[in-house]
Formats: sequence, structure tokens, C-alpha cells
Amino acid sequence: MKKCKEFQKNLVASLSGELKKDEEKLLLSHLETCASCRKELDELKRLLQGSDSFQEEIDTALASVDWNALPDQISEYVFKEEQRQRAKSWLTGIISWLSQPKLRPVFAGILFGLLLGSVATYLILKPPHLELANGETYFASKDFLERVELEMARRETLDYLEKSQYLLLDFVQSPSREKVSNESIFASQQAKNLLSKKKYLNPELDKFQMAKAKEICDQIEILFLELSQISTQLSKEEIKRIQNLIQEKQLLLKIKLVKKELEGSEV
Amino acid sequence: MERTHAVENGYICSLVEKVKEGDRAPFREIIRLYQKKVFVLAYSYFRNREDAMDIVQETFLRLHEKINMFEKGKNFQSWLLQIAKNLCIDYYRKNYSRRRELESEKSVEELNLASGNPADSHRSSDLKAIFSTCIQKLAEKQRMIFVMKHYNGLQYNEIAQTLSISVGTVKSLHFKAVQNLKGLVSPYLGIQK
Repeated sequence: MKKCKEFQKNLVASLSGELKKDEEKLLLSHLETCASCRKELDELKRLLQGSDSFQEEIDTALASVDWNALPDQISEYVFKEEQRQRAKSWLTGIISWLSQPKLRPVFAGILFGLLLGSVATYLILKPPHLELANGETYFASKDFLERVELEMARRETLDYLEKSQYLLLDFVQSPSREKVSNESIFASQQAKNLLSKKKYLNPELDKFQMAKAKEICDQIEILFLELSQISTQLSKEEIKRIQNLIQEKQLLLKIKLVKKELEGSEV
Repeated sequence: MERTHAVENGYICSLVEKVKEGDRAPFREIIRLYQKKVFVLAYSYFRNREDAMDIVQETFLRLHEKINMFEKGKNFQSWLLQIAKNLCIDYYRKNYSRRRELESEKSVEELNLASGNPADSHRSSDLKAIFSTCIQKLAEKQRMIFVMKHYNGLQYNEIAQTLSISVGTVKSLHFKAVQNLKGLVSPYLGIQK
């Protein structure tokens, strides 16, 4: 025969309708003879009846809910939430795919490439004056500077010769007049300008090996000296003499040839 | 009884299959069938209508998310209540831990029942409060089993499935829960400890 403690364990199951038939029979026969277990059964009955009072509270809470409308509300909420989650999971899926560890070397490579490319681009395209910004001086080779100066002299000479050519052409083609025309006075002014330019050109022509250019430039200078004198004092014969001088010395042809030579010898 | 239950479970399984295909009406039907059971479980756990409603909503949301994981032949109600139970535990740990600490400092005697003859107290309107407070004082599993057995009307085998424990463990824990409850409320019911 089981002890009372063992039977009391079955009392709760019995009151809850969970005891097997044979166990129930055994319990009932024990209860007939055991007053202590009957007392325990009574107390448990009262306890479980008392617990039903909480059922009333539950029933009140249940009555406060609209159970007919709730399925629609919940269903709507669930499907909305599901749509939101789906959109979110699509985005997080991409992010998680991109952030998987096996792709990290690829990202590191891309980042390294970008950095390397940026540095290379900067070094290639950086403006030269950036170095001078710190007060550093710019160094260029002597040869380079000489070539720059020669090129400048060549261009200056070409410019001088071209202007001289136009002036002489104008002067030669202008008909001899009794009086000194306005054109001649303009030519005189131009000649004066070109003379001052020649003064600047002289050291350049001496410095570099531009003998032919120097020779023609000197001849032009003499002519311009005379031209600069054109004024009311200069007679018609004198103008004619200067025109003949230009033609005799074939100055225009020489200018043309020297110009061609200078243009061909671009540094 | 067993036959009825089998038919019901078969009906639920057919509804579940339709929900898996994306049908909304069977999902509403499942909610209609189980909403009260989930509510009772959650209400017994929290004694708060709003929290219980939150649990109901979250349970069906979780159900819909996991519906493809439900295997045919399994007890649907146990599976659903398992979801609800897990949500209750999470919710409780998140929101009630501090509240429970404060409440545990308050003894049952503070519920205006200590005065006078305790034997008369069971007639008090606060009897409900006594029981719910004492139920809250039970250990988590004991509380869950007591609520499922007495307020959800589940059988031991259903509780065992829901809590993933054996029927013997359910029986044993139920007995412990009743004994502990008896110890807590006995002065107010005129029961000797």
C-alpha cells in the first residue's frame, strides 16, 4: 500500500480529471480509510474553487474585447507588418550579402586601388606652383633657360620684321606727291616705334647667332631713321630716294627670306 | 473526445495549408478560433488587458511568419500556445522584471486582508486579487502550468506538448504549484498550512 504522501500527489491530478482509472480506484479506496488524506482533499477542493474567482476576472477582461472585429484587425496588422518586413528584409539581404566576410578582401582591394589611383592622379596632375607655395625656389637648367630666351628673341624678331615689312610695303607703294601726305607722317610715326623696338632687340640679336636677321634689321634701322625724319622738311626727291633705296637693296625680299628662315627654326 | 479533437486538428491543418498558400480568410478563421485562448494565457500571466492584447497580436504575427514551419499531424493548439508562452516570457522579462521586484516587496498581507479574521477573508472582494497575486508569485513553469490547466482548460498531455516536457513533469509541477499556492493563500481560506 502506498504511503499518504504518494496518494496526496495524486489528489491534485484527480481533482483536475487527469488520473487514470486504476489510479483513481486506488485513491478512492485509500480515501475511505484515511482521514488525513480526506482532509487534504477537502482543502485542495476549496483552494481550487477559490482559484475560480480569478476566472471571474478573466471573464470580465474577455467581455471587454470585441472578438468579432479582432480577427480582421489582427489580420490587417499582420499583413501590413509582413509587407514592411519583406521590404526591410530585401534591403537587409543586400546589405548582409555585401557585408559577408568573403567579400571583405574585394572591398579592401577596391579601396586600395582607389587610394593608389587618387595618389597617382594627384602626383601627375598637381600644379607646379604648389611646390613654390612653401617658399621654395624653382630650378631650371641653363640650357632650358637659353632655349626659352632664344625662342622669345626669335618671336620678337619675327614680329619686328613683319611690322617692318608692312610699313616698307606701304611706303614703297605710296605714290610720290608734291606734298608730304598724312600716310607718310603715319609711316614716320610707325618707323619711330619700330626704332625703339630695335633698340630692345639689339642685345638679343648680338647674343644669339642670328647674323642674317641682324644684318637685315640693321639695314631696316637705317631706313627707318630716315623715315622718322619725314616731315615737312623732307622733299619729294628725298622720299623718292628712300623708296629707290628699299628697292635697290631688295629689302622686302630679304625680310621675306629671313622671316621664312626664322619661322623654320622654331625652338 | 479524442475523435472530436482529431477532426478539429484536421480542420486546422487544412486551414494552415491554405494560409501557407497566401489565403487570408483561413488566417482570420484561425485567429477567430484561438484568440481567446491566447488572451486568457496572456491575461493570466500579466493581469493586464492591454499587455494581453499585445501578446495576442504578436502571437498571430509570429504564427504567420512561422506558418511554413508547422508540420502536419502536430497539435496546432500546443504549437500556437508555445509561441504565445515564449512571447509572454520575453515580454515579462522585458517589461515586468522591475515591476515584479517592487511587487514582491509587497506581501500578500498588504492587500487589506490581514486585518480581522482571515477565515472571513475569502468572501472579500479582494479574493481575486489574492489569487492572482499568489499565482504571480509562483515559479515561471509552475505558473504557466497552473494557468494552462485551470484557465485555458488544457490537459496534461497538451501542456506537455506546449512546454516541451513530459506528462510526468507536468503532473509533478502542477502538484508543486498547487501546494505552493495553498501555502500562500491558506490563511485567507481558513486552510491550515
